[in-house]
Amino acid sequence: MGCGVTKSDQFHKQSGKAVTTIKAAVLIQRWYRQYVARTEMRRRYTWHIFQSIEYSGEQAQIKLYNFLGYLMDNFTPSSNERNLISHIFRENEVCRDAEWERYFSYENIEVPDIYSGPHLTFPLTVEQAFGLVEAFRNKKQLHSRYVLQLLLETWKLLRMLPNISRISTCHSKEITICGDLHGQLEDLLLIFYKNGMPSLENPYVFNGDFVDRGRDSIEILLILFSFLILYPGDVHLNRGNHEDHIVNLRYGFTKEVLTKYKLHGKRILKLLQKIFSWLPLATVIDQKVLVLHGGISDTTDLSILTRLDRHTYISALRPPKKRHMSSATASIDSDMDDDIWSANRMSQRRASLTYPKPIGTKECFHNRSLQDFSERIRANIEALEMCKRQVHAHAQAQDQAQAQAQTNSPISSSDVDSVSLSCESIRSYTAKDEWRQILDLLWSDPMTQDGCIPNEVRGGGCYWGPDITEDFLLRHNLQLIIRSHECKQDGYEFCHNRKVLTLFSASNYYDVGSNRGAYVKMGPDLVPLVFQYQASNMTRELTVRQSVGRTERSALKVLREQLFAHKSDLMSAFKKFDSDNTGFVPLNDWASAVESVMHLDLPWRMLRCQLVTCKTTSDGMIDYYEWFSELAIKGHKDTDHIDQSLLETLYRHRSTLETIFRMVDTDNSGFITIEDFRQTWKLLSVYLKMEITDEAISDIAVTIDSNQDGSIDIDEFMEAFRLTDKKSRLERGRSMFMVTATDLTKLEGDPNI
Amino acid sequence: MAPKKDVKAPAKKAEPAAAAAPAPAAAPAPAPAPAPAKTPAVDLSAVKIEFSGDQIDDYREAFGLFDRVGDNKVAYNQIADIMRALGQNPTNKEVKTILGNPSADEMANKRIEFEAFLPMLQTIINSPNKAGFEDYVEGLRVFDKEGNGTVMGAELRIVLSTLGEKMNEAEIDALMAGQEDENGCINYEAFVKHIMSV
Repeated sequence: MGCGVTKSDQFHKQSGKAVTTIKAAVLIQRWYRQYVARTEMRRRYTWHIFQSIEYSGEQAQIKLYNFLGYLMDNFTPSSNERNLISHIFRENEVCRDAEWERYFSYENIEVPDIYSGPHLTFPLTVEQAFGLVEAFRNKKQLHSRYVLQLLLETWKLLRMLPNISRISTCHSKEITICGDLHGQLEDLLLIFYKNGMPSLENPYVFNGDFVDRGRDSIEILLILFSFLILYPGDVHLNRGNHEDHIVNLRYGFTKEVLTKYKLHGKRILKLLQKIFSWLPLATVIDQKVLVLHGGISDTTDLSILTRLDRHTYISALRPPKKRHMSSATASIDSDMDDDIWSANRMSQRRASLTYPKPIGTKECFHNRSLQDFSERIRANIEALEMCKRQVHAHAQAQDQAQAQAQTNSPISSSDVDSVSLSCESIRSYTAKDEWRQILDLLWSDPMTQDGCIPNEVRGGGCYWGPDITEDFLLRHNLQLIIRSHECKQDGYEFCHNRKVLTLFSASNYYDVGSNRGAYVKMGPDLVPLVFQYQASNMTRELTVRQSVGRTERSALKVLREQLFAHKSDLMSAFKKFDSDNTGFVPLNDWASAVESVMHLDLPWRMLRCQLVTCKTTSDGMIDYYEWFSELAIKGHKDTDHIDQSLLETLYRHRSTLETIFRMVDTDNSGFITIEDFRQTWKLLSVYLKMEITDEAISDIAVTIDSNQDGSIDIDEFMEAFRLTDKKSRLERGRSMFMVTATDLTKLEGDPNI
Repeated sequence: MAPKKDVKAPAKKAEPAAAAAPAPAAAPAPAPAPAPAKTPAVDLSAVKIEFSGDQIDDYREAFGLFDRVGDNKVAYNQIADIMRALGQNPTNKEVKTILGNPSADEMANKRIEFEAFLPMLQTIINSPNKAGFEDYVEGLRVFDKEGNGTVMGAELRIVLSTLGEKMNEAEIDALMAGQEDENGCINYEAFVKHIMSV
């Protein structure tokens, strides 16, 4: 105890020090919060990048599909061209059940002695199902004989299920609901590990999108189907938009199956087509909670959904067709004036390709007819544009209701021409209405604003608002909608006043560390309890900063590739801003030009410092020529003589190109003939509305067919133009392209990686 | 016996000091009353915007990124983060002052559009309270008991969680990840270099 003065001195000294301490603390805290905010910002735009690119891919697929459908409906091409296009419409081969059984017969398939995977006997037992999970965990593959057997049993079961499953909870039986899995077996195993395998006491609902993008889509399907067969009353599967062979062509499932099952892959895929169409559309829990994959629209009606024949919709992207394609039937809006449409449709019908010229060699006949084909398409597209204008003018003159009917077309209103022509109604209004119900169910996304607008980003379904949710829940006496379809950083997200829950179960979806996965448990109180997780050991070791950095680098790389692929368009956009041809544009104009070409709605200004590494001048101008040379992707040495713009086109549309290749490759050999290659290319050039001379195509074909045997290896083709990103292939192992063991060893020695 | 650390007394002294910084127009009440002085609202209309057109566009883009609703506005409780994302370093208190000391309900629900945000950002940028490398090192030196260039990780944790604008455990863990050596000590110069390198 000291005297007053000393006390006061000491006190002041202490408090002086204390002030500094607090100042120091505040300083660090402030810095930390800034760091968190900036990291969050980076995470957000990285997310934006991946999501934009993913959705624009979906949109591209739908556009391609519509285009091909349009071709099918409006031209009577020679049989060869027809074969080319009709591959994707394989669903039109309607056979009787007996024929199906024979086609899918597995009895003749022998299982060799060296096979080390699981053997299945039917009826399936729980031990076998567990054994299957274990085998897949150990990277084994199920033999095609058992696959077909399992799929057949699944098909038999699914046929008996209603469109909408109705289930109830009770106190001892909580229901677990999972969202998109997308071929990521690790996540499914993690869920089973945390939550237990499905059983009578442990019911599950899997909400669609089991396949595509991930590596183990078929394994996930086999596991889910096994449990479905074992516990049909306690395991429920909803169809997702990826349970669709059209989408699978682009997103990797088709390729996965054909790679893993070289001999019987085609048969397996065909059977899966049927199974997908028989998957139930939705599940209702305790009559209060609706679980479906995409969402709803302002016209969604559960009673229509309950009644319709779901299995006639092999793909949600196309309405069911009658056996024979009859002459011009009603357009999408039967209320609209038939006069406008029918006259044009008649003339189109007449425009067949039986060319009156003398037939030369087989080859030149092909070339000529496809050429004519493309010319006619161009001519008709112009006629169509004119039509569209007339129709729109007409619509404005009509009263509200009919104009409404036109804007609410199933696919985005900007594709009115392709939709109205590709849609052939059978029972006119009802069929279209039913089709739209399913499309909306599988493809829609919620939005924050009220109302319901077409989902132009994805190209299918719609965006629906909180008012639509309110109305829907009221009408159907429900209290909650659980859906999936959209990746969320935390694996789940509530919206619309917590009346809609989005659930996504594929963690690290965009890249390692990008997001968590989640599942929900629900008891009789119908309060969803969310459980989150993140697969992969790597993520645990990365700090937040490292994982954001990684994902960011990935996203930027993808974005740079996209920018490169649009180089010519970007160049013209820049030139518009740079009328004096100085080679420089101000930053603001750079951002506007890029957005006007890319349509990705990204924060370009913020991304600029990451995308443009060449120096900007002191007054903020960007040298765009220099920028392009920065972005350039090196071509293979053999392709140097090939036109740069052609290279760019190939690069931009590589996904579409590969999709068409796979369609053309009917026996799934991985090879297509030079002839098919030429025809494919012509098809693509028509689709893209660009001129490609025969010479240019021959050039490419000759370059690729290195052993001159008249056939082209699809993978080699994609490889030749460095259209694959080798490094990420090695790193992630998850890719769109086949990699054989020899490829990998070759690549590992490559100094250019 | 003199109290070891009278947290209350210095707190009162520190607050007016911090609050004085961001308000160029209004003068905060400096009187050391028992309760922290209520600082009057900042007069934003008097703030002159000194940003270039390009800068404003940059800020507008960032602002848009935080708009989760689609009404071209952001909530009050996002303002601090947006400012930080744009490279500023305000304390939560400074931001609250600029917003006019809103209630908790207002923080969560009131929204503000970009034009109203700009003067706030300008105010923060104008504030002289900028910290550089030396300031952070000085701040941490306070905890260097032995004067050997290291601080105890444990002590830092306690300080960060109990003083100033408290951090929670998860935040502190993230901050200190990988910084402590086997004795639980942190070399603070290296630490500051690390935190400034982001």
